[in-house]
Amino acid sequence: MVHVAGVDIGAAFSKVVVFDGSKVISYYIAPSSGSYKDTAERVVAEALAKAGLSAGDIAFTMATGYGAANVAARDGVASNISCQGRGVGYLFPSVRTVVDVGGQLTKVLKLDDEGRVRAFLQSERCAAGSGKVLQVIARVLQVDMEEIGALSLKSRKRIDFNTGCAVFAETEAVSRVAEGAAKEDILAGLHRALAAKIQTLVERVRLEPDCALVGGGARDIGLVKSIEEVMGLKLLVPEEPRIVAALGAALIAEEKVTSTMKINIG
Amino acid sequence: MADFFAGVDIGSTMTKVAIMDGGIVASVIGPTGPEHRKLANKVMGEALAKAGLSFDEITYVVATGYGRINVPFADKQITEISCHARGIGSLLPAARTVIDIGGQDSKGIKLKDGRVVDFVMNDKCAAGTGRYLEVIAEALGVALDEIGRRSLEAEREVAISSTCTVFAEQEVVSRLAEGIPVEDLLAGIHKAIATRVYGMVNRLKIEREVAITGGGAKNIGLVKALEAKLGFQVLVPPEPLLTGAIGAALLGRDIVEEAVQSGLSLTRSERRLREATFFS
Repeated sequence: MVHVAGVDIGAAFSKVVVFDGSKVISYYIAPSSGSYKDTAERVVAEALAKAGLSAGDIAFTMATGYGAANVAARDGVASNISCQGRGVGYLFPSVRTVVDVGGQLTKVLKLDDEGRVRAFLQSERCAAGSGKVLQVIARVLQVDMEEIGALSLKSRKRIDFNTGCAVFAETEAVSRVAEGAAKEDILAGLHRALAAKIQTLVERVRLEPDCALVGGGARDIGLVKSIEEVMGLKLLVPEEPRIVAALGAALIAEEKVTSTMKINIG
Repeated sequence: MADFFAGVDIGSTMTKVAIMDGGIVASVIGPTGPEHRKLANKVMGEALAKAGLSFDEITYVVATGYGRINVPFADKQITEISCHARGIGSLLPAARTVIDIGGQDSKGIKLKDGRVVDFVMNDKCAAGTGRYLEVIAEALGVALDEIGRRSLEAEREVAISSTCTVFAEQEVVSRLAEGIPVEDLLAGIHKAIATRVYGMVNRLKIEREVAITGGGAKNIGLVKALEAKLGFQVLVPPEPLLTGAIGAALLGRDIVEEAVQSGLSLTRSERRLREATFFS
């Protein structure tokens, strides 16, 4: 059996997937802290340990993400976009539109029937259009990022934001708290504002169902429901939405290995 | 007896009052709090006390700024664009372009013969406003009124790649951790905001002379960075924060003069002033 690895070194988080040709045998996620090189080494070692494998067992390591060049064990580098598309295509073959809400950027991918990326768009580097705005407001409200989704769903009276800017939204959230507004109502308003920004981005490449939501933002149930409401459809969300690009990298690695094997054999 | 006119400018961050006859009789500048109405009364009271005048001695009051509807004793509300233009027309008559950098917005105004011919404004995004500098000053642990001067002490300017205030904050914090001097980062930050503001205002085709107003004009680093971008020196009024309030007071005087010239009685405005609940 051939084992391959996909390593996605992101600006905020690094993810590794170890794949055996038919299933994910292990994965590991850790914050990208210190140097990318150390992070890469650490996360690869952890994922291998979880899989009960050693570095020598991995036939091909495909690196991707912002810090891909820092992965010492890499046999190749693939673009994050194609990895993302590949990963989603594998998990949900029916998906034609992918929304990736990351900590700094939101991306929209259009896939063809083969899972290849046909079109791609990313948000301007503006905190309001990415998961960053959720972090900013979670801090103001003193709510854990893991809790904001569930809390937001409890809202009965959504408080809409007057601004699209994360900095101004922060001020607005502070005033609303001072006025006695409930945290869940503020969060619901924030989720709605982010969902509206994401919808605008998606519309620029024309939404085509099915639509998948990946990236850290997909773990926020409040955001998932808000996007579903705004876009009027049901989203497909992977069990672990953060490792999709790493999985895609592993799939591309596997393809490299099998095609090389075919050449050798034949 | 001289006629006195008051301008009250409730900005997002600062509230300004100017009382004028021919020149400025008294002025007050204070932070804008959550309760605009109380605040408007308070700063007006302070300005009157400074001028040694009673409210009844003020002929006409014009309110401007984003909180202008919350000035119950004002005779008229006028947009900050018009008031800024009027203020600059009087303070710096040579100016054809005004760049106003406020606490939560920035504007460009093109003037011709003292009249507004065009304007552009950003109040949607914190980048390019005073708020951007406030966030960065806090992140770097430097007082807001120091950052401009400190930026001029830079040995080399560090390019800031993020536009968004939130990401720029992250960027300077991590660059600071790498050991980059605060001054070098501040130089980059001032260049970044100058570039953004210049890009916006130049949509109007900037023409000399250029006047800088608002809180941003009190930041020497920003003024220098804008001058570098423009390639020439700019004009800065003696108290840039007061431009809108002065313009408001002068527009009030214009209104009264026009009424007098066209033979209209001022009874109505006098009645309104007496009705003001200002001292209650």
